[in-house]
Amino acid sequence: MSELRKDLVTGRWVIIASERSKRPDDFRPAGAVAKEETPGFCPFCEGNESKTPPEVFALRREGTLPDGPGWRVRVVTNKFPALSPGAPPIKPEGGLFQSMPGLGVHEVVIENPDHAKELADLDTDHIRDVLEVFRSRIGAIEENFHYQYVQVFKNKGKEAGASLSHPHSQILATPIVPKRVKEEVYGAERLFRANRECVFCRTVGEETRLGERLVLRNGDFAVLAPFASRSPFEMAVYPLRHSPFFTGTTRDELASLAAVIKTVLGRLKAMLSDPPFNLILHQAPNPAVSTKAWPGIAGYFHWHLEILPVLTKVAGFEWGTGFYINPVPPETAAGYLKEPA
Amino acid sequence: MKKILLVEDEKPLCLLYEEELGAAGYEVTSVHDADSALEALRTGAFDLIITDIRMPGKDGIELISRIMGMRKDIPLIINSAYQSYKEDFMTWAADAYVVKSSSLDELKARIRELVKD
Repeated sequence: MSELRKDLVTGRWVIIASERSKRPDDFRPAGAVAKEETPGFCPFCEGNESKTPPEVFALRREGTLPDGPGWRVRVVTNKFPALSPGAPPIKPEGGLFQSMPGLGVHEVVIENPDHAKELADLDTDHIRDVLEVFRSRIGAIEENFHYQYVQVFKNKGKEAGASLSHPHSQILATPIVPKRVKEEVYGAERLFRANRECVFCRTVGEETRLGERLVLRNGDFAVLAPFASRSPFEMAVYPLRHSPFFTGTTRDELASLAAVIKTVLGRLKAMLSDPPFNLILHQAPNPAVSTKAWPGIAGYFHWHLEILPVLTKVAGFEWGTGFYINPVPPETAAGYLKEPA
Repeated sequence: MKKILLVEDEKPLCLLYEEELGAAGYEVTSVHDADSALEALRTGAFDLIITDIRMPGKDGIELISRIMGMRKDIPLIINSAYQSYKEDFMTWAADAYVVKSSSLDELKARIRELVKD
């Protein structure tokens, strides 16, 4: 029989449909998945810098010029942004149907100059550089308190929403705190009031003790297959040091996180024949806003990453109910993910 | 006279563009699919390319990728009825993205910017 599981923080329910349980090969048979076609031209490749908007940030070789070759990580404004900088936002207007100007920031982080080198293929120093760029851009964007939430995410593969296979991530800053982020903040606050302890710290401690959903743990991070995973082989990466803001991570912690990311993405790639996935950063809203709106947030929110392989389809039931159906119990997923690639 | 290659599968629209852009002083060569566009680029000289996205056979996105592999130097304008292709990063390769409308004013303005004497 299937099992209903509730996410402790958000209250979201999932159906763990273990009778439909599948092995990794069932989703992405080894060798049967066609590689995405490398396009004849890519605006993100080194040498094509003129095809992107001017860079807002780059890690580049000494002596090289902005918007030319010689970079390791490059950040540009999205040429067709979902949200754009502008006059400070006003409160939503209207009666029944409220709206407001589309103020925000939309940047693209081109993770490396090589079209074919995915995040998992980079050396850990380079992955750390990408993470440092995330940290730096979040800090710069949050200087403007109108940008209440900064979302960093990576879509890898067409099924996960990527239109171009050149490895990249995106940063979207919004003038409001999104509903899902608020749900997580309120959930963490409620559980902190009940237990006088950060629910994320408690989860990591309990999952380490139990071990069945612990994928790996190093001196700074723990990777779990979450108890109420929405997606087969979903993972959550938690820092062991409690911190609400990604900008509070140290260079050493980023190096340690880079090693963790390389390991788990490498295992996913090997086990599921280079699957499409979404990587999502969850952090507290802009400190200028969140420390006022939620005065205790530093105590109960805990930044983390989610890695969601796209192996099932979100369809009518999921849209209608907010439930997800996951055919791979997280304990089974963790068992596979623990095995070295 | 500056030469424009127009890639558009709707023939009545080609006639309209040929007339309007012709009156504005441009020589327009129309082709109706991506393969014909690539052939035209191999054999002819153009100062600007205007391409639709949604076409039978290879779509405009694939065409842009192939054009960039051949002739990165020719300015290119995407002229689509849909905004949604802006989400495809390959459209960054174009110098302008003009959504189709009943007026060609914006398209003509972008052409003037990109094709200078």
